[in-house]
Amino acid sequence: MTLFTKTDCRLCDQLKNRFDFAAMQVDIEVLDNGDAAALAHLAWHSLVESARKTLPLLVLDDSSTEADFNRIEGYLIDKAMQCGLTIKAIPSQSISCDDGSCSIQ
Amino acid sequence: MGVVMPLPTERKSKIKSFSKADSTDLALFVRTSEEDITGWNRQRIVDALLRETFVDPDTADRISLDVEKTIQNGAVKTVTGPLIRELVNAKLLELGLEDARRMHTRLGMPLYDVNQLLVQHNKENANVPHGPEATNLTLAEGIKKEYALLHVFSDDVADAHLKGDLHLHDLGFIDRPYCSGQSLEYIKKFGLNLPHGLSMAKPAKHAEVLLAHMVKFAAALQSHFAGAIGWDAINLFYAPYLEELSDRDVKQLAQMLIFEFSQQAVARGGQAIFSDINIYWEVPKHFENVPAIGPGGEYTGKTYGEYEKQAQRFAWALFEVYKEGDALGKPFFFPKPLVHITEKLFKTEGHMDFLNHICDVAADKGNTYFVFDRGETAKISECCRLSFKLEASDLEDAKTPWRMRYSALQNVTINLPRLAYRAEGDDTQIFSLITEQIKLAVKAHAQKKDFIGKLLAMGEGGPLSLLAMKLDGEEYLRLERCSYLIGMVGLNEMVKVHIGQELHESDEAMKFGLKIIAHMNIVCNKMNEKNGMKFVLEQTPAESTAYRFAKLDMAHFPKMAKKVVQGDLEKGEIYYTNSTLYHVGSTMNPISRVEREGLFHPLIEAGAITHVWLGEAYPDKGALTDFVIKTFRHTQNDQIAFSPEFTCCLDCGKTSRGLSQNCSYCKSEHVDGITRITGYFTKLSSWNKGKLGELRERYRNEKRFVEKAV
Repeated sequence: MTLFTKTDCRLCDQLKNRFDFAAMQVDIEVLDNGDAAALAHLAWHSLVESARKTLPLLVLDDSSTEADFNRIEGYLIDKAMQCGLTIKAIPSQSISCDDGSCSIQ
Repeated sequence: MGVVMPLPTERKSKIKSFSKADSTDLALFVRTSEEDITGWNRQRIVDALLRETFVDPDTADRISLDVEKTIQNGAVKTVTGPLIRELVNAKLLELGLEDARRMHTRLGMPLYDVNQLLVQHNKENANVPHGPEATNLTLAEGIKKEYALLHVFSDDVADAHLKGDLHLHDLGFIDRPYCSGQSLEYIKKFGLNLPHGLSMAKPAKHAEVLLAHMVKFAAALQSHFAGAIGWDAINLFYAPYLEELSDRDVKQLAQMLIFEFSQQAVARGGQAIFSDINIYWEVPKHFENVPAIGPGGEYTGKTYGEYEKQAQRFAWALFEVYKEGDALGKPFFFPKPLVHITEKLFKTEGHMDFLNHICDVAADKGNTYFVFDRGETAKISECCRLSFKLEASDLEDAKTPWRMRYSALQNVTINLPRLAYRAEGDDTQIFSLITEQIKLAVKAHAQKKDFIGKLLAMGEGGPLSLLAMKLDGEEYLRLERCSYLIGMVGLNEMVKVHIGQELHESDEAMKFGLKIIAHMNIVCNKMNEKNGMKFVLEQTPAESTAYRFAKLDMAHFPKMAKKVVQGDLEKGEIYYTNSTLYHVGSTMNPISRVEREGLFHPLIEAGAITHVWLGEAYPDKGALTDFVIKTFRHTQNDQIAFSPEFTCCLDCGKTSRGLSQNCSYCKSEHVDGITRITGYFTKLSSWNKGKLGELRERYRNEKRFVEKAV
């Protein structure tokens, strides 16, 4: 699995706070301005336009992709459980991203 | 300039002596650039030096004496203004006054070159025919090119162009922006009201008059832009004029529009206007609620959303005309029809019939361009693949559509294979070199912007009065909203040099190619923030640039270049692969090509395309419709075009499918081929050698589609 994120993305941060990606063997690609390799990887999965609308984005092991935040969380919960890992509680306040920070420009 | 003859005796006495001491000893006539014959006058050298350079009077005087002595010692009997100027320049060079020499440069062409130009076809642009008007264009372009490289651009930028590190497009049109996309609403609302026009026309009351205004305005724009002139949503904006017309009249109007643009080879340089018409089956969302302007420039009381059926009628008729072709059945070269494929199209009644109709044209004549606007994307497309994505401010303009006009000010293309030669396999180096070249391109753009800005600021009395006109309160050319294009040639060869494989040969090659373009995209974005200008990547059509770069690299990097340059080295028909395209000869199936090449497209924001070369194949329209829908639904590809080939007999006039040496009807060998060179169709006899080399290697998808039933 590969999760495409960005440093100042609140939705991405929520996932980072809940899951131990290293232990789950989920690769993280950070689409910070200047990382051509990450952007190229995003393009390879046909996700550039999707990332212009929303982040995070998840690429599953079968190369299918997911952009819906709740479903991404679901996949990650399943993966964490398969790995026998505990999952931190969901924050009481749901996070939204109306200011466009959860996307690439 | 011109030849100079010994002074006839009877006229010697009439020659005024300007220099008492010595000049009368030179019994010379000097033919000046003012088309005058004057006597020798050393002071004119001094005057020119003081007027044109910063040389001090004593040095100027000394140089004039030296030149006079040279002429005397050389026993010169004839002398021209250019010769004197070159002698002065040689003296300036001897004195180390390089800046002064540059300022004192004379622009022009050797006699030999002019002789060649007058008789031989210049094939730099296949859309320029051969004739006196074309020669004028080429000669004028020659001088403006020199002027641009000497006076508009800094030395580092000019040298980079001359060496082939990058290519500054349309240098011969240095005093014009690159291209323009606009709305018909401007002339519908304001009529044909051009600065310095001999007469002013009120807004058109009839469809045919609107067409006449459109054609004339396009010609005026062609005189002020270097490249394409595009029109947005043409069928929709004509719609309010069509309500009273029968289907037959609408077809007649469609025929007139297409013939007017395809036959207008009487304008600049004898060129047809490179014209594009954007067409929608549906009413685009951003025009749905916009009040429609109708005859006489008056609001009709309806919105454009209410004109869907009229707009569809016109779109259908346009493609009927494209399907028929010209009087000989040949495809029309211009205007290029660009059909937008959107989510809304698929929700609009009759869309499958329309898709089949335009795919029928694509299969038969190749005209149709398919432009994919996925999600909420809206854009205006033109040129060979250029597109302007509509941003929030543009969508605001859409409420008053006459304000919608977009321009790219310049196009600068980077020679990617050369950077790979220089990087010698070093990853860090290759990315650093790309950054360096983009910075140089940015510098070139800033210099052109500064130059155009100065011309524009001269307003109505200046050379760009048309672009400075403010009929809607803003200058026609909104300089601060222009785009600045950064293109690339030869990604395929760059990747081959750097990792040993072409793009189509492995995932590793493709991933590296994506990283290169991602890097270019990122650097452009950083430059935007830094400079406050809009730098965007575009796939360069590179009609002659792909040939020029390959030739220059064969000269400067022969050992490395000969391993990767495409084409026929022996014949000199060499080229680099255009932009980010795969090798034209790779035998992959067309949907894979569309899908794989399309991976680059979201990173190339000002336009990208995949060509599907058809050769003699004549696909079934349903097969192409399926292909187009698949491309829209399952790929990221920005635009596609299908390109059949034709042979046109110059004796019997008949046109047959495929390229052949003889006419299939009368067997004459007096034939010419027709197919797409970059983005447009044209005759093979006007192609440059590089493009001919590419043509020979194109993989024609001749067994890839279900064929049309005969």
